[in-house]
This record gives sequence, C-alpha cells and structure tokens, in this order.
Amino acid sequence: MNKKTPKSYENMLEVKNLKTYFLTDAGIVKAVDGISFSLRQGETLGIVGESGCGKSVTNLSIMRLIPSPPGKIVDGQIIFEGTDILALPENELRNIRGNKISMVFQDPMTSLNPFLRISTQMIETIRIHQDISKKEALAKSIEMLKLVGIPAAEERIFNYPHQFSGGMRQRVMIAMALSCEAKILIADEPTTALDVTIQAQILELIQKLSKKLNTSVILITHDLGVVAGMCENVCVMYAGKIVEKAKTDDLYKQPAHPYTFGLIQSVPRLDKAKDGKLFSIEGQPPNVIDLPPCCPFHPRCHKVMDICRNQYPPTVDLGNSHEVSCWLYAEHKELADA
Amino acid sequence: MPEHNNSKQPLLTVTDLKQHFPIETGFIFKKQIGAVRAVDGISFSVYPGETLGIVGESGCGKSTTVRSIAQLYKPTSGSVWFNGLDLVNAPQDKLLIARKEMQMIFQDPYASLNPRMTVRQIISEPLTIYSNRNMLDPPMGKQEIEGEVEELMERVGLNRLFKNRYPHEFSGGQRQRIGIARALALNPKIILADEPVSALDVSIQSQILNLLSELQKERGLTYLFIAHDLAVIEYISTRVAVMYLGKIVELSASGELYHNPLHPYTKALLSAAPIPDPEIERKRKRIILSGDVPSPNKVHKGCYFYERCPNRMDHCATNIPPMKKISDNHEVACWLYQ
Amino acid sequence: MLNHKNGKTKQEKATNEFNQIVVGNSLSKDAWRRLRKNKMAVISVILVSIYILLAVTAPILPIYPYDEIVIDHQDLPPSLTKTAGELMRDKELAKMYAQAWRQGRLVVDEATNEMLEDWVSRSKVNKVWDYLLPEGNRQLESGTFTWNASEQRSIDSREKRIANEIQISIEKMWLKDEQGKLSDVKHLETDEIVALYAKLLGVQANLLVDQYTYEIEMQLLKKIKAESTGLTDDEYNMMLRDQLDSMSTKNYDALVKENIYEKIASTIKDMAMEQLGTEASQAETTYPLNEKVAVTEYLTASVKATKMHDRRYYLGTDSLGRDMLSRIIYGGQVSIAIGFIGTLTSVLIGVVLGSLAGYLGGKIDYFIMRVVDIMYGLPYMLLVIIAMAIFGRNILNLFFALAIISWLTISRMVRGQIMSLKNQEFVEAARSMGASTPRIIFKHLVPNSLSVIIVFSTLRIPSFIMTESFLSFLGLGVQAPYASWGSLVGESVGGMTLYPWRLFFPAIVMTVFLFAMNFLGDGLRDAFDPQSKNQL
Repeated sequence: MNKKTPKSYENMLEVKNLKTYFLTDAGIVKAVDGISFSLRQGETLGIVGESGCGKSVTNLSIMRLIPSPPGKIVDGQIIFEGTDILALPENELRNIRGNKISMVFQDPMTSLNPFLRISTQMIETIRIHQDISKKEALAKSIEMLKLVGIPAAEERIFNYPHQFSGGMRQRVMIAMALSCEAKILIADEPTTALDVTIQAQILELIQKLSKKLNTSVILITHDLGVVAGMCENVCVMYAGKIVEKAKTDDLYKQPAHPYTFGLIQSVPRLDKAKDGKLFSIEGQPPNVIDLPPCCPFHPRCHKVMDICRNQYPPTVDLGNSHEVSCWLYAEHKELADA
Repeated sequence: MPEHNNSKQPLLTVTDLKQHFPIETGFIFKKQIGAVRAVDGISFSVYPGETLGIVGESGCGKSTTVRSIAQLYKPTSGSVWFNGLDLVNAPQDKLLIARKEMQMIFQDPYASLNPRMTVRQIISEPLTIYSNRNMLDPPMGKQEIEGEVEELMERVGLNRLFKNRYPHEFSGGQRQRIGIARALALNPKIILADEPVSALDVSIQSQILNLLSELQKERGLTYLFIAHDLAVIEYISTRVAVMYLGKIVELSASGELYHNPLHPYTKALLSAAPIPDPEIERKRKRIILSGDVPSPNKVHKGCYFYERCPNRMDHCATNIPPMKKISDNHEVACWLYQ
Repeated sequence: MLNHKNGKTKQEKATNEFNQIVVGNSLSKDAWRRLRKNKMAVISVILVSIYILLAVTAPILPIYPYDEIVIDHQDLPPSLTKTAGELMRDKELAKMYAQAWRQGRLVVDEATNEMLEDWVSRSKVNKVWDYLLPEGNRQLESGTFTWNASEQRSIDSREKRIANEIQISIEKMWLKDEQGKLSDVKHLETDEIVALYAKLLGVQANLLVDQYTYEIEMQLLKKIKAESTGLTDDEYNMMLRDQLDSMSTKNYDALVKENIYEKIASTIKDMAMEQLGTEASQAETTYPLNEKVAVTEYLTASVKATKMHDRRYYLGTDSLGRDMLSRIIYGGQVSIAIGFIGTLTSVLIGVVLGSLAGYLGGKIDYFIMRVVDIMYGLPYMLLVIIAMAIFGRNILNLFFALAIISWLTISRMVRGQIMSLKNQEFVEAARSMGASTPRIIFKHLVPNSLSVIIVFSTLRIPSFIMTESFLSFLGLGVQAPYASWGSLVGESVGGMTLYPWRLFFPAIVMTVFLFAMNFLGDGLRDAFDPQSKNQL
C-alpha cells in the first residue's frame, strides 16, 4: 500500500463545494449538495454510500458528463492541476476527459461498443489523445492488455467484446482507461457486476497498476470491505453530502458519524461469530427531493437529538484530517473556538 | 443455533436433481446439439426449522436449483420430495396443494412485483388464487383477506396506509418487504429465498436479514437461502452448500465452513471475500483464482474445478470426485480427502 | 417503520420520516400528467371529443336529414347568409345571363368579352357565372338589358315557387276506432294497415295485394342488383325467388307494412299539401308550422310543414341537393365507427393470439406466427376487396374484412412484449403461487403491455379510416344513401372544378381528424413511456 505521500505534492484534484442539482417535474433533486474533497498524486480515495446518495453524480460531475437538462452543476469548483474544469471550454475539456482523467464503469458490457473490435476501440481512444500512428497505437494497446493480464493479447485484441467474459471485459476497460497514461482513474463500482473471485482479481489489478503508474484512483463503491482493502482515505456520503471523511484506519477503528458506525456494524462479518441480531439502521434512505433543512439522517439515527431535526450540522475537524458533520461533535468546535 | 439431528425427518429432500436446458438449432426441424447443464446432479436435505444456505458464483446454478425445486422448470431428472410428495412426478392438483407450503422470495425487488398492481393486490394474490380454487383452509372472505393483508404489512414493517400504493412508490428495501409479505400470506412451511438481499444497500440488507430471522423464530419457518455473499450466508444459515458449475462441492455447518474449509474452491471464495477492516485486510493472504468459470455447456470427464484448482492432481482430470462425509456436519467432493 | 406510529395517532395520513405528507401516485396518473403538458395532444383530445360528440349526437342535432334529396337545391354553394331560395335564384339567373351573353343580348365590352371567351375555352364556367351575375343585375337595373317574355315567365314562376313551396313531413298518424280510442298507425298489424289504406282509397283490400307484392319484389330486385353485378336477368330472378322463399312470414309482413305506411303517409302529404298550398299562396300562415290535421273522421296526422326554400346550407349541397353539413356529420359517424370498431376488434384478436403465442411458446407460437407470416404475405387491399366482393358490400362486411386482416401487426407486437415480460420475476412469482395461465396472461402480462397497446391502437385508428376512405373512394366501401368521408370525397371528385366545396369540406374535416388522432397517439406514447420518444 502506498504510504503517505510527502506534503510538497500539490493536490491532483480538488473539489470545492460542488453542487449538482437535477430539475425534475417533482421538484429539485439535490443529488450532490456542497461537497469538498481533495486527491493527492498516487492516492486511492474511496467514496462510500448507499444507492442514491450522489456518489455516481459526483464522479460524473468531475468528468462534466451530467446530462443537461435536467442536471446542472449549480455551484462549486473542480480544480485539476491548477485549472478549474468547470470553467473550461468543451474542446479543452475533451483533452482532459479520457486522457488525464479516465473512467471505469460498473457494467463493462454497456460501456464497450458491441459492434466494434477491441482493437478498433482501443486504437481510436489512444489516437484521439495522442499523436501517434495506427501501428504504434496498436502496439501500445497490446502492451496495455498484457499489463492488465489478458493472455494471448496479440490475438485477443481482434476479438469483439462479447467474446470476453465479464471479468476480462472489465480488464479491457481498465486497459483502455489507462492507455493514455491517465493521472486520475475514476472507478465507479468496478466490481459490483462481478463475482467474488473475479472481484478480487480486478481489485488487485487496480491496486498494482496505480502503484506502478503512480495514478490516483477514486474508487466509488457501496462495499465497505472493498474500501477497507484498497483505499487510504474514505469519504462517506449520505443524501448528497459528505458526512464523514477520514483515513481508512481511523474510520474503521473509530467511526464518528452514527451513519458510518451503523454501516460498518450492519455488515455481517465472516471473521466474527454471529451473536444474535445484526445491528441495523432503521428506515429508508431519504428521497432527496424537497428535503427539509435538517440532518437528513435524523429519522434513522440512534443518537438523534432535538437540534438534528431543525438544522444541518456543521463540519467539525476531529484532528488527523478526520472530519465529520454531526451535532454530536459540534461542541468540540465551540470549545475550540472559545 | 438449532442443531439438526438426523433422527428428524427432512422437510425437503432433493436427490440427484438435474436441470439441463437444451441448445437447439435448425429452423423447422429442431435438433438438439447440446445442453446447458445448469444443475448437474445435486442431492441434499433440508430439515424443519433450519436454514440451508447455497452459495456460489453467478452461473453456478443456484437460482436454477431453487426454480427446479419450486417446479417453475420441469427438472430433467431426479426427484424433489416435499411433505411426503415427489413434486417432479406429482399431478397438477397435488402439486398446487404442496406449493401452498412452499413460497419464494426473489432477488430483484424491482422486477419481482407487478408494477400495475397495488401493494394490496400483490400481497393478497396468493390468497385470492387459492381462494378461487377453494383450496384455502379455512376459507376466507374478501373482508378476511383484506384484514390479513393489513396484518402482514404491519408484520413486515410497512405502513398499512400505503396498501393502495403501487410498487414504484417504494424504495428497494420496502419492496423486498412487500415480497416477503406476499411469501408469508399462505403461511408456508418453507421459503425459497433467491438472493433476497443482494440487490439491497448495506443498511437495508441488515434490516431484511433481521426480519427474516425474526420471522423464522416466530413462525418456525424453514429457509432455503441463496446468496453469493459468503458473509451473508454465514450469518443467516445453519448449514451451507457451496456450488460450482451445477454441482455441490462442499456441504457443512456454517461455522465449521469458515473455520475449516476443505475444498480448494471454498478456500478461494473465503479468501476473496473482502472484510470491512483495514488491518485484517492488509494482513490477509488471498488465494487469487486464475481464469473464469468455464461454460456450463461442456461435458466434464473429471473434476469440474480442475482448470482453476490450485491443488489439482492428475487423478482429478479424469475422475469426478464423489461426495464424502468427513465428519458429522461436513461433506466434501474433492480427491484430496478421499 | 417509524412513520407508521405517526400515522396512527394523528389523522390517518401517509407521511414519510420527515413528516412530509406522501401523495399517492400511479403510473397512469403519471402518464396523464405528462399528457396534459403536451399542448398538441390536449388540443387533439378536445378535437377528437368534439368529433365523437357530433357523431354520436347526430340524430338529435338540428340538421337536415342526410339522405333527403331536394332536386331544386342541387349543387348550391356554401353560404352563411343566404337562404337556399336566394342561392337558387342567383344560380338560375347566372345561367340565364350566360345564355343571354351567348346569344349576344347581354352586351359587354371587348376586353371583358375576350376574358369570358377565354374562361369558357378553359372550361371555367363557374367564373363566367360569377362574373355575369352582378354584371347582368347591373345592366338590368340601368335598363341596358331586359329579359324576353319567356325568360320573364320562368323567372316569375320560380319566384312564386321560392315564395310558396312548402315541404311537408308526416310525424305521426293515429287511427280512431269506434270507441274513439286513438292508436298509432305505426303499431298496427299488417292486415289492419292494409285495411286502413283500402278504406282510405275506397277500394277492396284484396285489390291492393297485387300492387304491393309487385312493388316489394321490385325493391328486393334492386337491392340484389346493387349487391352483385354482372348477372343475367334469369339469375337475378332466381336469386329473388330464393330470397322470397327463404324469408319468414314475419319479415315479409314487415316489408308490406312499411310499403303501405309510406303510401298512407304520402297520400296524407298530398292532401295536406293541397290544403296548405292554398293557405301559403294567400300568405296566411307563418312557417315552420306544426299542426294536427284530421284527414278523415277516423284518421288524424301530425304534420310538420316548412318553407322549402328557406333552408340554409352552410356547407353547400351535393349533386342531389343533400345538405353537405349533415352528410359530413353522418359520414363522420360511419368513418369514426369504422376506425374505432375496426381497431377494437383487431386489438382483441391480436392481443389474445399474440399473448397466447408469446406466453405459451413452442408449437402454438410457431403455428400462430406462421399464420401471421402467411397473411402478411397476402396483399392486404386485395384481400379486403375480395372479401367485400364475396360477402357483399355493406358496412358490417367492411368492418369484418378490415378486422380479420389487421390484427397481424398488433399480435406480433403483443407477442414481443409478452416474451420480454414473461421471464420477469413477477411472472415467476405468480407461477410459483400456482396462478393459472389465463390469470398470468390477463392479470400480469397484458396489463403491463397495455400502454403499448393503447398507443398502437390510437395510431391505428387513422389508418383504418384511411383504408375505409380509400375503399369508399374506389366505390367498394359504404353504399348510398349512407355516406362516409371517403365516399363524400369520392363522389365529389367529378365536379371538382365547378363545385369545389363538395370536395373541400369533407377533405378538410377528415384531415383534421387524422391529424388529431396522430398527435394524440404521439402524445400518449410519450406520456406512457417518456424514454421511447424515438421508437415505434
């Protein structure tokens, strides 16, 4: 695992107060509502949350791939290597998208064109961003496929996507994403559609490659187990907001937010004997349309207080870059201020 | 943990069940050129009050097993004894009576509820069907069915005021509760649960698992529980069967399986399952299986796991290992232990 | 769940965990909301409703009967202000001026003459008429032109007719028996009505038998000739004999009764006409007039009289003097009915066969789909034409012919839908509960493909109307005196240049309806499935 990178490194990516709203018939969906985080070179950051919490929208916002309308990035900055992506014109953006920031999606079948050979798709991707001949691009593609562990890459590259299995397809996707020497790889639930044994293969591959190529990785997942094995830092999202941000070890050892605590506790553990009832967070994740100005987690929270019902909590720094948005820790801040 | 003992009569006995789906070719005169061997000769028993978990990767035939037992597919061969009746060869009317005692819960909370029916109609459907056939004992009137539906809704944790709503107005977890209420309506003895929690979020998953175990205690239910997540299976089951390519490779009490896995495939599965604890994750040694699950169309001469097995021997290539009892609670099909 | 406690203590309102009230919403409600946002679809809904309302209420609308022929009112142009009499007068005068111009009595200057000659050579006679009418009137006033004696006579007689002619219809007739009790003539037995007519004429009842037998036979023969053409007289006679032999006494009696009733009515009409005609010429009555006339001491009739030439034709008349407005409305009745009934039958057949094929699969699917394939291969229009030729030309047969051929597409579509739905888990769930095949098909599968079926049917209606119109245009559709939009257009193509309104109005009315149906179909499709905007 990559140990802490020196402070002298600038942040590769900095997301500041990002707000992405969807204007629907039923009302404004605040899918992402003011989130901030940063990513250093070579770092692997996990974004965890349940479905509908806005983790995928966050990553689409970084790529500026939000379907508009109905989606709109209403506020915030996304600073990549010193420039604000949100202010860039479309043609310069294309230079970053797929080249410096690449994506791997959940379903490898739908993100590959079933009518084109892998070779065609890879060569095309490479040549959009790099000024090299077809032959060189082909050679590079084969090299990438070998790197992600596809046997007989010289022959397999001329196959169509349906001739690969799910795990192999995901490998091809990763090869494509990294073929342009991307600085950042965004992996959106890369293993959700795969089996456990294949998942282990793919995760190991991502980890190995990120170390080798010094690529930063944003790993979006709902699986706390995956995060535990892969990431250095974790952001926990709930209803469009980051509720807790910490180093992975701290987060698992001392989860501050009741939601994080609940999430970790409610996963059945193989290594622990079952002792009666599983901890569970009651209720349903909220519908993010027309949320009242309260802590969106309060109806499910086992430590709910009166103030939680009326006001969104401030973000409190607990030290060692462990931040949490919960009224339980608000006193800390007041004490510190005083 | 309710220990099963062999003196008890099994509730459900599956013997050498095979489910092959023919692969046909030709336009008018169809010719069979092969078969997908989804389930290829499995045998097990389920005892009253226990939970038998079936775990395996996608395509291993676990869902097909459940559907063959429920007679949604006509099994190719083998027998399914339930309540003293062989379902495979039972006449239609006897089968209907037997089915009353055997209900299913499905994986996809979105696809398993008819979007054009209200929750009330969905939950009352099994009652209505059996009431129309005069097979309900005691017979129920419209009013009684209505009351039963409300009772069931409250039992699974749904507000009965929502009974005239449509499924799309509910979240995934609530929909799964509707599915559970529907399965409970006929007061069955056994519930066949086909991955009931794998499409749900972590926090909801634990709610549903808790609900299922509460119901089991209250009503003395027996579960045949399918999942691909080992941790879930280990938590909910009394005994676990591991399936690979249409065959059961290991069958054991659930605690025993984790602490003392015998089959190389079980070992690989256990080591691949991520554990939500960074320290343990870092220390663990993973057995990474190479390759993918082979196609189930092939006829195997030897062990089905031969191609991917880290401990394969020459003997395995040509001989199919039989199930062998290692201890009271532990059976395995592997030449290492014969 | 948390909210359930809130629900019980307070008023029973469904709230979520934030105490916000949750309003119920069904898929069809959602679709309706989306449909309402689509302006074109809303306009279409309104238009279609107006059309249907008019078609349904046609019998009680204050319009002239669609099959009433008034020979004097042939080809009158549409007018909002002028009565039929004035239009008639204008038309006749224009024709007479044109004749006078031809004879050289109506003198116009050289340039105008050339222009008129040019119009005549290009057979634009109506332009000549339009020009000469005001010109003639002007010259008549200034005295440069006068009618000759015979012309003046015919003008005078026409003026008198326009002023005096009345039209009489018999609403009801009563027979008074010895006790002075009144009974409706329509409800009399056949022999009673024959006796009544004989009494009216002052002859023996049995003398009438020969006459009405002959008339009824002629009537039937005419009908037979219209239904099957190109046979010899002997064959026609044979068919007539067959029909008479196979007819029950009751049916034959009904024919006799109808025949005699009409005769009594026309006798009374003549009598009333005589009486009212004298009154009208003395300008003593005001019209319209409703009165009860005692025809003889035993027969009373309620008679309605209107001034014939006071009628107004807002959309003009056709070549037989029938009101275009009422013909278009009644034509709409037939066209819309064919559209709806045809679609309904084809959807019923298509849904049943398609869902059976899709759900059961295997041999049944194979068989149904091959039948569909074969029928697809046959030329659609030819089949309809053959069916019409075999079974005779009437509206019912037209419905039938269209329906048996048009279920093909919908059955394929439904089959596809069902096949994609039948592997869904909710169908497996129903099967695992022991639901029967019909229940699965009609409770689970069909309701879920309903939106597609509705959209398809809506888009199907215009195509039915088009087919019917095409057949009517070819003369294979509805038969006179019935009308449909297609037959109205077909009839009027001949006089297109002289009487454009006869083509124009039915064509416009039909086009607007077809547009509305298509927009409505589009709107429904978008409403039911917002993602499918570019499909179908």
